[in-house]
Amino acid sequence: MFIASDALTAAFDDAFARLGESAEDDRGVVVTSWPSLPVEIVRACRLRLVVARGSRAETPAADAQLEPGLFPSRIRQLVDAALTRRLAHVAQVVIPRTSDPDYKCFLYLREFVRTGVAHALAPTTLFDLLHSDGTHVRRYDRERTRVLVDVLADVSGHRPSDEELWQEMALTDAADAAARRLAALRRGIPQIKGTAVFPLLGARWHIPPREYVSLANQAADQFENGPFVRGPRVVLAGAPVDGTELHAAVESRGGVVVNEHSAWSCVEAGADIRSEAEPLSALAELYRRRSIGPRLPAPTPEWTARAFASADAVVVSLPDDDATFGWDYPALRDRLQEWEIPHVVLRGDPHRSLSPDDGHRLEALLDTANRYRPSHHE
Amino acid sequence: MSDKQLGVTAAASAFQKEWFAQLRQRVFERREPYALVQADVPFELFDLLDIPAVSNQWWAAMIAAKQQAPGLLDAMEADGLHDGLCRYCSLGYASMRYRDAAQAPWGGLPPPRLLCARLTCDCIRRVFSLWADTCGAEFVAIDHAGACELRAEWWTLGRRRWRELVEPHRLAFTVAALEVLVARLEAISGRRLDRDALRDRLDRVNQQEEIFDEVRRLIADAPRCPVRMTEQISNVMATQWVRGSDWALSHARQFRDEVKHRVDAGVAACPGERVRLMWVGAGLWHDTDFYTAFEASHGATFVWSMYLAFGPDGYIRYGLDDPMAALASRTASFNEYLHNPPWAPDWIAHQAVEHRIDAAVVLRPRSMKPSASGRLFIERALERAGVAVLPIEADVVDARAWNPDAARAAVRAFLDERMRA
Repeated sequence: MFIASDALTAAFDDAFARLGESAEDDRGVVVTSWPSLPVEIVRACRLRLVVARGSRAETPAADAQLEPGLFPSRIRQLVDAALTRRLAHVAQVVIPRTSDPDYKCFLYLREFVRTGVAHALAPTTLFDLLHSDGTHVRRYDRERTRVLVDVLADVSGHRPSDEELWQEMALTDAADAAARRLAALRRGIPQIKGTAVFPLLGARWHIPPREYVSLANQAADQFENGPFVRGPRVVLAGAPVDGTELHAAVESRGGVVVNEHSAWSCVEAGADIRSEAEPLSALAELYRRRSIGPRLPAPTPEWTARAFASADAVVVSLPDDDATFGWDYPALRDRLQEWEIPHVVLRGDPHRSLSPDDGHRLEALLDTANRYRPSHHE
Repeated sequence: MSDKQLGVTAAASAFQKEWFAQLRQRVFERREPYALVQADVPFELFDLLDIPAVSNQWWAAMIAAKQQAPGLLDAMEADGLHDGLCRYCSLGYASMRYRDAAQAPWGGLPPPRLLCARLTCDCIRRVFSLWADTCGAEFVAIDHAGACELRAEWWTLGRRRWRELVEPHRLAFTVAALEVLVARLEAISGRRLDRDALRDRLDRVNQQEEIFDEVRRLIADAPRCPVRMTEQISNVMATQWVRGSDWALSHARQFRDEVKHRVDAGVAACPGERVRLMWVGAGLWHDTDFYTAFEASHGATFVWSMYLAFGPDGYIRYGLDDPMAALASRTASFNEYLHNPPWAPDWIAHQAVEHRIDAAVVLRPRSMKPSASGRLFIERALERAGVAVLPIEADVVDARAWNPDAARAAVRAFLDERMRA
């Protein structure tokens, strides 16, 4: 029997892992390192986006070339794929400027090609969208977005019209609306676990939007009629997550993850930004403001209040490679204490099993949440 | 602390102390504005608009050298800031955020009117925003456009062909970002930036860096290194923070003359020099004696660090018709020059050959992630150039995990092995 949620989960889980299996399938693929690349442009150029994700898979080729402790798992996975020829046939590799490790990844990939360390790698480009404020930044971002269109149009042989770009934005809106229906299942007493819903939300980066709308709505129907999920409501904060391992660690101990800091699952409405006169400015502005990553400003107090409004407990993930989100922690801790929401900081790689110590601390957190904040999940 | 071998070194230290005392006086007594800035921002703009600028890295180095960092670092950790966050860029913030945790050098930083930093590494926006909040000051961020094309041998292109070196879109963006900074500085100072004065200042910076180029040449060509690396750094950096000023030019000339005199007289920093070393990375500010610790035992002299060499290669810009563009071309790629492949490894390997370096000690910074990146490329480039490499793990301002005896023993063992070979 076809199950929509399985199809979505497979699209989320497998898209990057399957690169290199079929040269024919790979030829229409644009690979990127984080969901901060305007997928609308990729689709309008008649290409397909695949975003690298962190995982437990070993990365020996990357480990020989990358300094330890600097690069998140997703970058190591991407570099490993590049060095083992799994990206040889993709149409283009586009690295967004979401973080310094992403930028370094771009420079390293170029150097690997120049020095012959990477023998077969698709053309690689930097999408240098900046996230600070100012008219000069917006002008620059608009221009870099135009260059991205040029690069992808040259690769695909199809140069999208403004109309096609607007249309793709409208399709994204529809996909986001369907994703919001799934996200709504996490409100109140959730009807879906975080482990289950995160891939369903993330799949919209990999699946054509019309197909996504259909599958997401089917999945929402499926879960809306399902049982409620009991347990302390947990929010994942700190460094953005790109997989479900941390969700699984929480949920295997009786909690349920109801929100997380991640570009994969963020489905805020963006219609207000469409007032731009032409699509490239609209897209540049959309991604300048709404991406999630280390180069963006710290979350505002309003955002924090909204994100933690219904949390019984918070898990703050600050892995070894974190250079940024740890700076937000003292203010976050003070707010959580003010709101009497218990929290724990985990320093391990979120894609790996928890250390025994971290496991005990997580259990203690959920125990505290169960004892002192039972009202939200009765 | 090693004895100073050059007379000018004491003069450089005295100047900095006096400059800082005057800054405190200006701020506390006359309520004048000053700025706390990252080392890679264009200090010239601040100076021309009469807003003194204090380098964040210089201040962090001062705190570490005075052995005041551990208390601040403990306070950061007690406040929940994990040990993987950059300490070098944030120690100055800690010195104002956790004032009671240490004795600040020279009376401490007065409250700044503004902070300014280029958004190179990811932590900068966070650190400077927190710092600005702590001081009730304004933070002016200069965003950093990423490089797509990195042309070979940047150090040969930078002086006259800088328009080719920096991609046009990056150059235009950096100019625009600097103009935004100028507008803020003008608003704060109530003065207008004189573009002719900027051109003149950049010309004087060129003169200063040409003098440093002479010094570098003297050091590279002398049979034995005439001036210790630590004294190179003291003299160069004291002038770089006020580059192009009368004092800076005068001091640079005095420094050059004293080095030349030593070369002419056959005076060596280490008379028994047998091994020429280079230090790759920021200075080990909490233990600068490390750099002279191998002279007596092995005749091993640290000849090179980036601090002197980067001045002439990174700063000189000829063709000042559009001074803001020339300044932007220098500013745009600091990070890439010093840390990223292919620019950093190629340059450092080239410098190693020019200076007849036998072995390199390469810093593996514990917490400075951007500085730690590119390190493997640098190590391999040096090895390809025939330079033996010893990586050494340390934090440049955090002495708490630094074992000076073990580090010295590791270098001695490395030198023993190299000398046997």
